[in-house]
Amino acid sequence: MPHFDQTLDVKGAKCPMPLVKSRKAITELPVGQVLQVISTDRGSVADFQGWVKTAKNVELVAQETVQENGQELYVHYLRRTA
Amino acid sequence: MTFTQDQSTVTEISPRELYARLLSAQPLFILDVRNEDEFKRMPVEGHATLRTLNLPYFDFIEDEEAALARLPKDVEEVVVICAKGGASQYVAEVLNNHGYRAVSLTDGMIGWGNYYDVRDVASAAWGRIVQIARPARGDLSFAIISDGQAALVDPLRHINVYRELIEGAGAKLTAILDTHVHADHISGGPALAKETGAPYYIHPYDAIHPIDMLPAVIAYEPLRDGQVFQIGQVRVTSIWYPGHTLGQVNFLAETPDGGRYLFTGDGIFLRSFGRPDLGGKGEAWTPILYRSMFEWLPRYLTDDTMILPAHFSTLDEDAGNGIFAAPYKQVLAQNDSLKPRTLEEFTSYVLSHLPVFPPEYVEIKRVNIGLVEPCDGKANELELGKNICALAG
Ligand SMILES: [Fe+2]
Repeated sequence: MPHFDQTLDVKGAKCPMPLVKSRKAITELPVGQVLQVISTDRGSVADFQGWVKTAKNVELVAQETVQENGQELYVHYLRRTA
Repeated sequence: MTFTQDQSTVTEISPRELYARLLSAQPLFILDVRNEDEFKRMPVEGHATLRTLNLPYFDFIEDEEAALARLPKDVEEVVVICAKGGASQYVAEVLNNHGYRAVSLTDGMIGWGNYYDVRDVASAAWGRIVQIARPARGDLSFAIISDGQAALVDPLRHINVYRELIEGAGAKLTAILDTHVHADHISGGPALAKETGAPYYIHPYDAIHPIDMLPAVIAYEPLRDGQVFQIGQVRVTSIWYPGHTLGQVNFLAETPDGGRYLFTGDGIFLRSFGRPDLGGKGEAWTPILYRSMFEWLPRYLTDDTMILPAHFSTLDEDAGNGIFAAPYKQVLAQNDSLKPRTLEEFTSYVLSHLPVFPPEYVEIKRVNIGLVEPCDGKANELELGKNICALAG
């Protein structure tokens, strides 16, 4: 698991909420820190990849899929770069 | 801006309304807010009057002004589409706040992909022939209903559509007929047979997976060339037509008023014909298809035989009423791929018009003869995208 500074739990939130909430959280994150986002929305994997391509101050450090109580969690690690 | 999905005030457009708009050929603007890969794999298609722009929803979240600036200024109404119907609500709300009139497609591409359109091809004292289309995939299936009996040709995966249609007509399903074992979509035939007890017919040559060389483990009745099914007053005859698959058949329905309806499956289409390479043996099957198409088919076709294929490639093939059928004479006139050719010319025509071979097609054939049983999610994934059964135009 990569290093992270803060966690955002968006389990159960459907598209577009995981990304809406992440964007907001990144804005409030100190520059250089990493945000862990935990989502149950499978579509978020491709969407976060697409988003960071044009996002101004966000870098996608890592993504992983983990099992928790029989459900898949899609975990994203986002660094605020500026 | 605050946004809660459950309290969205955005107007929605249903897949049914969207389809009516697409068919009408009125100008229409679609803003598809999925990511680029998803959009490319399966866009909503229409006539030339349809304009589509792909602008992912996260572009609106990242920089609303920049995203808005990329929209054309001359559109009156925007139909916003996403994967499941959530992000499209979000973007439609943004658009509405900026002077556009935007509506969001209910349930997104999931809703569109699983939408079925049902309409009569013919309706007379003897009964009805009904077209059941899945427009997003370009898949067509048919029901023949006469005197309380019903037969289905190439029923698609969501079998309740057929059960409701037949129940609504007060008929009993007596035969489930597949023109061939499909590669591009999951047949509803085996499931309908299980639930209704009606026999499911396929030609035995299609009951062996052409690549695995493994036999079907589903229950089916072997279909014979020339086998006749009497559906009320309608006589349905199977005609072997190998080439797209070795066990492909055409079904000729003859009605008491002299009507002739040929269900061609993936034999000939209105603007193309079914590719001979999906069994992995294109070279060996092309001459077989040639014989079916140029030697056998003309023997049972008359100029006014209605051609009803299992697929359309574009909405332009619509006869004008949402029916994808045309008399043989008209098909000949508008289908360049059916022009007389020598075997050599035909072979090079096939080779130069082969589209990509979607890898999932091998797996779909396994599913259709029971070698693999997918869950619902997997089935949706296998069937993503439009059929690629025809040669490219
Ligand atoms: Fe097909």
